[in-house]
Amino acid sequence: MLNPIFDPDGPKIIVNCGSGGVGKTTLSAAMGLAGALAGKKTIVLTIDPAMRLADALGLSEFHADVQRVPLDKISSAAESSVGELYAMMLEPKRTFDELVTRYATPEISRKILNNRYYQHISNNMAGSNEYMAMEKLYETYHEGVYDLIVLDTPPTRRALDFLEAPQRLLNVLGHSFFWKLIKPYLKAGRWSLRMLNVMASPILRVVGQVIGRQALNDLIGFFQVWDEALYQGFNRRAEAVKALLGSDETLFFAIATPQRFPLQEAEFFWERLKANRMPFGGFIINRVHASIHDVPAPPIDQTAAQICPGAPVDSQLIEKILLNYRYIQRQAESDAASIRGLESRVAGLAGVKTIAAVEEEIIDLAGLLDLVGYLKE
Amino acid sequence: MSDGTAGKNNRDFLKLNADSQLAELFSRRLIFVMGKGGVGKTTISTALAIAAERMGKRVLLAEIGDSDAIGQIFINDTLPEAPLKIADRIWGARVNPKTELALYVRHHINSKFFANRITRSRLFDYLVAAAPGLREIMSLGRIWRWTQEAGSAEPFAYDLIIVDAPATGHALSLLRLPRVLIEMIRFGPIVKEVRELESVLRDPARTWLTLVTLAEELPTNEALQLYQAADADLGMPFKMIFINAVYPRVFTKPELERINDLKSFCRGNDTDTSCLKLLEAADHLIRMRRRQQPYIDRIKSKTRGGGVEVPVYYTNHLSIGDIGDIASRMIRQMREQSEP
Repeated sequence: MLNPIFDPDGPKIIVNCGSGGVGKTTLSAAMGLAGALAGKKTIVLTIDPAMRLADALGLSEFHADVQRVPLDKISSAAESSVGELYAMMLEPKRTFDELVTRYATPEISRKILNNRYYQHISNNMAGSNEYMAMEKLYETYHEGVYDLIVLDTPPTRRALDFLEAPQRLLNVLGHSFFWKLIKPYLKAGRWSLRMLNVMASPILRVVGQVIGRQALNDLIGFFQVWDEALYQGFNRRAEAVKALLGSDETLFFAIATPQRFPLQEAEFFWERLKANRMPFGGFIINRVHASIHDVPAPPIDQTAAQICPGAPVDSQLIEKILLNYRYIQRQAESDAASIRGLESRVAGLAGVKTIAAVEEEIIDLAGLLDLVGYLKE
Repeated sequence: MSDGTAGKNNRDFLKLNADSQLAELFSRRLIFVMGKGGVGKTTISTALAIAAERMGKRVLLAEIGDSDAIGQIFINDTLPEAPLKIADRIWGARVNPKTELALYVRHHINSKFFANRITRSRLFDYLVAAAPGLREIMSLGRIWRWTQEAGSAEPFAYDLIIVDAPATGHALSLLRLPRVLIEMIRFGPIVKEVRELESVLRDPARTWLTLVTLAEELPTNEALQLYQAADADLGMPFKMIFINAVYPRVFTKPELERINDLKSFCRGNDTDTSCLKLLEAADHLIRMRRRQQPYIDRIKSKTRGGGVEVPVYYTNHLSIGDIGDIASRMIRQMREQSEP
């Protein structure tokens, strides 16, 4: 299932989706390392990385500029030629600002960047972070520098919103429909609510009451500039991003743990990818608690003497040990049941790869290499 | 709970020291349970609701927006928008910001016909989607109105409202929202309501903000940042931090040594593998706890009153019974912590 990462003719883009806390960033880093070890020049684009992971990669911290991950320790030990590994942290606000600057004249860019409404949406608006992650991916792809790009998407359901409607973000920002409605109420050449005959539209009047006149003013000012200067450029761009992600240059993975919520989210992503005919690589289920061994469990009611013959153990301790064993088995069984459930729902239409829970945190490249080993298995 | 243990549990909990942390928590009108996605907010919210119920409170358990986790736990279905009785003294409801906004417009437009036309128009949808924080503030508004009802003499009023806050990862912006809106909007009926809402949020006599985290690096960092910022920047301190899914410290120090001895004994004798399996399971627990310990220590040292450890529950599908059990263990642990 994960061969495409190692395959020299594999896709150039890997996109990892999943809810927060499932180890998505660490897995993305491991996939990146796997790609580099297969000789590819690889970059990992990540959001919200852990300090520990930066440490593990030998970086003092992640930032929004491309950084090279030192692989010399690994390269000297490797038999074949090792590629290069780079990492970059996504900063959606910065990407958004850069886009605005690209498409608008300096004067209009300034107007937009200073608009309070823009400042709000570029920082907080639902969907803008997710869209900007894809935007950065597209940009990086077109630089043509890397053989493999691994994108760690923001941990929200909305990560794929743009697939159903690349204009969704744009809809909110300045769809022509919206603009047609607002325009008649604006006097030509000026963009402020003072010029806007609010009384003419009961809808605008109510909106003004609800969100406040100042806010409405900012909003309309933003829409106007946006529509005039940026709409078309953004629209073309969003379509191009969607086309790239649907091509065979790309492969999506859904990452989860066996817990109910992350698993539901992963299936949700899969459904949406299917609905949009996006190339799906499979499910990666991380942190699966394996049954302690493949040997059958000892009967719980056995006494200490029977379980550890010849070793005197006090009964209180053996009771604790037995209880703990039962709990840990319970977790392993629950995990196995979750995965069986997933597999039956997926019904062979997609791969399911499990990765065992590890007891130690990954603190260095060696730990990440172990994870690469799991990916190869 | 209808499982027959309620009576015994009630007696158990009534023994709680009146000034214990939990009794204090449950004397509020409103409890917010916040934290990033996947840390177990729903589990903690539900466990708190069950614990409060056992202490004789009438509880409204609310979730916001798209989430339907609480409904799945209690009624195997999505919760309705109007509070529904889901346990002896627990009601559940899902707050839908769109409904609230439509209600709000209807309230401020005299003509019903007009109000309906407005809220059904596409332009209205666009503006709602675009207006900063509007959805969130409408949800908070609904909760605020419930707090107004809480404690009143009405037959279905609640003593306590527990809110399973949305997993936006932007808890700080949610808390900051009333302030931002007041500054942005300045005048009008909504400002008056937002001001009242803010005063409820800021009043520790009525409202406690609580935070859920895991004993892992990113959740801990994020929780501590949020904890400090809420206090220093907003003056809205978190009163309690729950550290979810903590592996318990089961073995005493001599027992740990004994386990090590036993392991070498079993390996040396090459007898039954069952023995080794049991010991490895014990080892697993010990190592998992060791991995969590530095984060637990950090949370405890950096927060007032320390964190409340919520033990790990070894299953992926928690039933109400499981969560009731978690509630019991949480209470026991808090009681131990409040004793010198």
